[in-house]
Amino acid sequence: MEPKTQPTEEEIVARAQKGDRQALSRLVIDYRSRIYHLGLRLTGNEQDAEDIVQETFLIMVKKIHQFKGKSSFYTWLYRIAVNIGLRKLKSKPHKYQHISIDDPDLEHISSTETAVWPTFDYSRVSQKQFRKKLDQLIEKLPEKYRTVFILRDLHEVSTEDTGKILQITPSNTKIRLMRARNFLKEELEKLVAEEGLI
Amino acid sequence: MKNSSKLYKQICAYLGCDLDSEPCQQIKDHLTKCPGCKVYIDKIKKTVKLYKIADNCDDIPKDICNKLFVSLNIDSASRSGKESDK
Repeated sequence: MEPKTQPTEEEIVARAQKGDRQALSRLVIDYRSRIYHLGLRLTGNEQDAEDIVQETFLIMVKKIHQFKGKSSFYTWLYRIAVNIGLRKLKSKPHKYQHISIDDPDLEHISSTETAVWPTFDYSRVSQKQFRKKLDQLIEKLPEKYRTVFILRDLHEVSTEDTGKILQITPSNTKIRLMRARNFLKEELEKLVAEEGLI
Repeated sequence: MKNSSKLYKQICAYLGCDLDSEPCQQIKDHLTKCPGCKVYIDKIKKTVKLYKIADNCDDIPKDICNKLFVSLNIDSASRSGKESDK
């Protein structure tokens, strides 16, 4: 007997579009944690992350028949989640105001970047206090940079798909990612200097 | 690094791309010669890695998950078996 092959995501989506509850459930199971992470990183708030998960999948169930397959399914789903998240952020006062994000001063890197970071103790990220500090740094990033960093670096979405989700060009995506990475690196550097955190 | 604006642009593009992707040979060559840029790239890589590891520590809480299935009206029979995330 031939071994039973797993259905592809395209097949699952096609079944879900016909109202197959099991297929819908499969999609929820496959994406629930990623959408929750996305919401949590985007808003920095567990309640908002829960709301984003709920709203995203409710819309998915309601509108999956409208998905035409022009982009990948996850791009479509992420766009829904990001839009809900950004709407939430806009409705709230910003925790960190007027943070200016600059390009790295590449002309001076060779003279300024002399202190090598030691090998990180990555196990520290499981410590509550340390996690809190990392979260605070990411929350300081203005949302347009934070969103790109979350999608590209944490969720490993391609540059092209990140651009599609956020409706920006690939080169804009790259610029925002570069600035976000540089900002976080500099903030982390301050922590290293001030508190010897790493 | 002075008088190399073209190279700066390429490094910028590189920094916005996958850090382990194949950067142009010119940048690779430059990094072997420029300790400052090498340290800079290393710090960016470590920053990203730190956040990636931190992000993997979170899992969706069970109660949120249960509420989700209830609100979507997906019964336990439909979700039996394969509960693992991708």
